[in-house]
Amino acid sequence: MVLIRVDNLEKYYSNSGLLAVKNLHFTIERGEFVSIVGPFGCGKTSILNLIGGITDNYKGSIRINNESPSEARKKRKIGYCFQKPNLLPWLNVLDNVLLPQKIANIREDNGKAIELLKMVGLRDCQSMKPYNLSGGMQQLVSITRSLILDPEILLLDEPLSSIDEINRSKMQLKLLEIHKRTKKTTVMITHSINEAVFLSDKIIVLTPRPAKVKKIVNITFLQRNERTFFSKKFINYLKIIKKELKNGQNN
Amino acid sequence: MDKIIKTLFTLSTFFLIWYLTVTLLRIPSYIFPNPAEVFGAMYENSLTIYSNSLITLKEAFLGFLIANLISVSIALGIAFNKNIENTIMPFAITLKTIPIIALTPLLVVWFGPGEYSKTATAALICFFPSLVNVLRGVKSLDRDLVVFFKAYSLSKIQLIKMLIIPSILPYLFAALKISSSLAIVGALVGEFIGTNKGLGFLIISNYYTLNTPYVFASIIASSLIGIIFYYAIHLVEKRIITWTVTID
Repeated sequence: MVLIRVDNLEKYYSNSGLLAVKNLHFTIERGEFVSIVGPFGCGKTSILNLIGGITDNYKGSIRINNESPSEARKKRKIGYCFQKPNLLPWLNVLDNVLLPQKIANIREDNGKAIELLKMVGLRDCQSMKPYNLSGGMQQLVSITRSLILDPEILLLDEPLSSIDEINRSKMQLKLLEIHKRTKKTTVMITHSINEAVFLSDKIIVLTPRPAKVKKIVNITFLQRNERTFFSKKFINYLKIIKKELKNGQNN
Repeated sequence: MDKIIKTLFTLSTFFLIWYLTVTLLRIPSYIFPNPAEVFGAMYENSLTIYSNSLITLKEAFLGFLIANLISVSIALGIAFNKNIENTIMPFAITLKTIPIIALTPLLVVWFGPGEYSKTATAALICFFPSLVNVLRGVKSLDRDLVVFFKAYSLSKIQLIKMLIIPSILPYLFAALKISSSLAIVGALVGEFIGTNKGLGFLIISNYYTLNTPYVFASIIASSLIGIIFYYAIHLVEKRIITWTVTID
């Protein structure tokens, strides 16, 4: 069942007037993990901000379960996790996780927050301040916070880009586990093709700016051991996406 | 304990050098009294100095409060409407360039010779440094955090309460610390004209009679209330702001 439908989307950058996105079409099914990859500056974050209802002023259509993105945002159907964890340094981990509930004037559900922190392995850190946590842990708190309002969609804007290689692999596993457990429709922007193939059900490859869909690659790993960086299938997907990105840049 | 001993040692050395210099050079008391004379004057007039210190402190505190409330309100306004900055800053800078001593007689005319004119002097002297600091805080707001809050449809009141006020607190405390000592200076300058109360009055009236030990005693008292005021703010800051990194 289609949850997000993007049709003929066109967006100009408000400050420079440059065309960021042109004639963009794609759909995302409920429960899917979708990654958007593309060259630097091709408008990936703009697309995510449009889907999230953070930016408007676009041509074409974006529908989230037959609602506009800003309607979906106002109904708290979207959870956000940005490149930076954006935790408030004066609040402890638990209060940071509860922040969206506080903003929404919903009774703060400590039990739920603790349950989510337990899921990401940070239950013992609930009373710590963000500066006592590593970058990866801070990003996990940020992901936990994006889940507290039980959104239908999770938007992740390069959530692992500032994390070192070793911790990044652990975080990818964590993200996969979170997706399996919560079944949230997830849209992630990433520069890492490995990461995209490892996590996604579908990868949208974009052309350089103005962004158009170059190819949509469906990822299916039938066996558990196929989802490894060394499996034939995995390497094959990498090749396809790299080729598409290269073709897009050459064009 | 070690710190207290070191401080006591430094202070004792200072007073000893002062005493020996004044005594050996035979400087008359009306030009530069020795520490014993100053503390003698302080002891003899302790009640008067105490009651007048409270008056100066009250005027300084009220002026400090008014100046900081106004500067925080303006800075919050600027956070939502940049035009306010263009309107207000030229006036604020002009006000800053006028020496406070030149405005004091006018303030007495406008607010009367009582405490109001002294409070106004203290407020005027505190206003600009406070505004500049708090404004710096508002301008240093983390853009990514603003976008995050926007994503969760935060109202303006929530934005002020949950993001802007906590974010500008380190800057606000810097402003409060600077203006705490300035407020005392403002109140003292205000008391130089048209009043018979406060430490400023004690300084100026004893200066006219060349009672220099009393002048020194009043200056030390004003310095002490300035230090107490500053450290009171410092203590509150340490309790509230626990998330900034300090280099030990």
